[in-house]
Amino acid sequence: MNPRLSPVLLQVLQVGTVALAAPGLSGFIARLEARLQGRRGPRILQPYYDIVKFFRKESLAPLEASWIFLAAPFVAFVCYLTIPLLIPVLTSYGLPLGYMGDILGGGFLLALASFAVALAAAETGSPYAQLGSSRSKTFGAITEPVVLFVVFTVALLTSTDLPYALAATVRQSAGQIVRPAHLLAAAAFFLVILYETGRIPIETHSGTNEFGMIEEARSFEHSGPYLAMLRWGAAMKQFILYIIFLNVFVAPWGLASDGSLAAVILAVLALLGKAALVGVGVAVIDDSFAKLRLFKISEFVAAAFLLAVLAVFTVYLGGG
Amino acid sequence: MPTGTPAPPVFDGVADVIAVLVLLAEFGMLRAALLPAQIRLYAGQSLLLAVLAAIAAQQRNVPDLYALAVLSAVLKVLAVPAVLRRMLRDTGTDIAGSGVLGVATRTLCALLATAFGFFATAGLPIRAAVLPRTALSLAVAAVLVAFILMIFRRDVVSQAVGFFSMENAVSLASLVIAATMPFLLEVVLLFDLLVAVVVFSALIRIHHNRRQSLSTRKLSGLRG
Repeated sequence: MNPRLSPVLLQVLQVGTVALAAPGLSGFIARLEARLQGRRGPRILQPYYDIVKFFRKESLAPLEASWIFLAAPFVAFVCYLTIPLLIPVLTSYGLPLGYMGDILGGGFLLALASFAVALAAAETGSPYAQLGSSRSKTFGAITEPVVLFVVFTVALLTSTDLPYALAATVRQSAGQIVRPAHLLAAAAFFLVILYETGRIPIETHSGTNEFGMIEEARSFEHSGPYLAMLRWGAAMKQFILYIIFLNVFVAPWGLASDGSLAAVILAVLALLGKAALVGVGVAVIDDSFAKLRLFKISEFVAAAFLLAVLAVFTVYLGGG
Repeated sequence: MPTGTPAPPVFDGVADVIAVLVLLAEFGMLRAALLPAQIRLYAGQSLLLAVLAAIAAQQRNVPDLYALAVLSAVLKVLAVPAVLRRMLRDTGTDIAGSGVLGVATRTLCALLATAFGFFATAGLPIRAAVLPRTALSLAVAAVLVAFILMIFRRDVVSQAVGFFSMENAVSLASLVIAATMPFLLEVVLLFDLLVAVVVFSALIRIHHNRRQSLSTRKLSGLRG
């Protein structure tokens, strides 16, 4: 007995998996990080409890803030719900809405979400929130070209810019996996993930030291359900970036090749396992490096830029 | 399904990746603030090169390259870094004088040099027998980055390391275009490196004895 799921249901499942599993992934990383530091750490389910708690609290807004402040968490959340439609989360083949946007479209949605949150932070008039949003946009000016160059590399390797096509190309042969352009682009993308998810060496993820904050400072003025949406959105963003890293670049295996129930369940389990492995890597990095000083972050993003540009050079000029 | 740029064979891919790592080590040397870290990177780069030569020897059946791999491993991974470390210990300085430009700007300059290296070799009608041609572009890029390293760092040790790593890049290029050249020639090239080591160590010692520092900035007083 192995019923087939309709493409529409699969698409809903892709979004649902991301939305439901994302806080758990954050909880897992926080727990593991604490264990590696010799602490007991929070429960893995803690992010879920936090989100539920925030949904029950009242929400306050600064006096001068306009509707943008209140709309931003929803805009960001909707963006993060849309991206799983475009990328291979559970299936190795494109679903009906999968070709609605390419990898650049996904990038635009991520940028739009981040822009909305930064705009809301600027609305508040609070110095810390504004500090975070201005910093994230400053360094974002270098990470976004990195993402563009990674997209160029993908386009040169596959002659399309569809995430499904790159995943299929990577699965084709071992030669595709070890070619330098692919490895360099994947490494550059991983550095971008560390930056975008606010991990060491960029910032301490759960710290309360305002001076070093970038991503975390932006939601300072939000409260109640709005803060819950932002927290949930941030967890989803992290999971989405991991999924792109895994299912498009590094390990596009274990995806369902048809709509059968068993294959889909296996794909969900494989995805959670792979994401947990990346989480282990991130937790180890978090515990083995120091946070960079603020003006050293430009060196970090310059390194990511170097890798991404070299990826384009090796494939476009070098033919490798 | 559209194909895009076809994938090279696995061996070519691995060789290219090692060549990319050689270039990245060069970028690392350009960036490293501590001189011992720079020497470690040089040793790592030389090890990568020895591994590449050994892999090429095994895959392409060129037994000469085994001897070259062992010889360059002994010389460049162990002997040359040991000499450099010994000199650093004698001078008692770990941190180089700051470079002319900031790290990010230096990286961008080196990136431009890399682009030039790729453009310059892309049009060359070279058919490589042992290693893929991409490795040649990477080797030329590494030579240019080594030049940038020597120009932008203002200390004698960085300039020595830059020169030695340029030799690494040149031997990478020679692995691509002349892997089957007579073994004697390869050994002569390696001994050239030894001469350079002797010259540079004399230079570093004399400079340090006269100026009590490794920085070359003091030399600008010699201008007429």
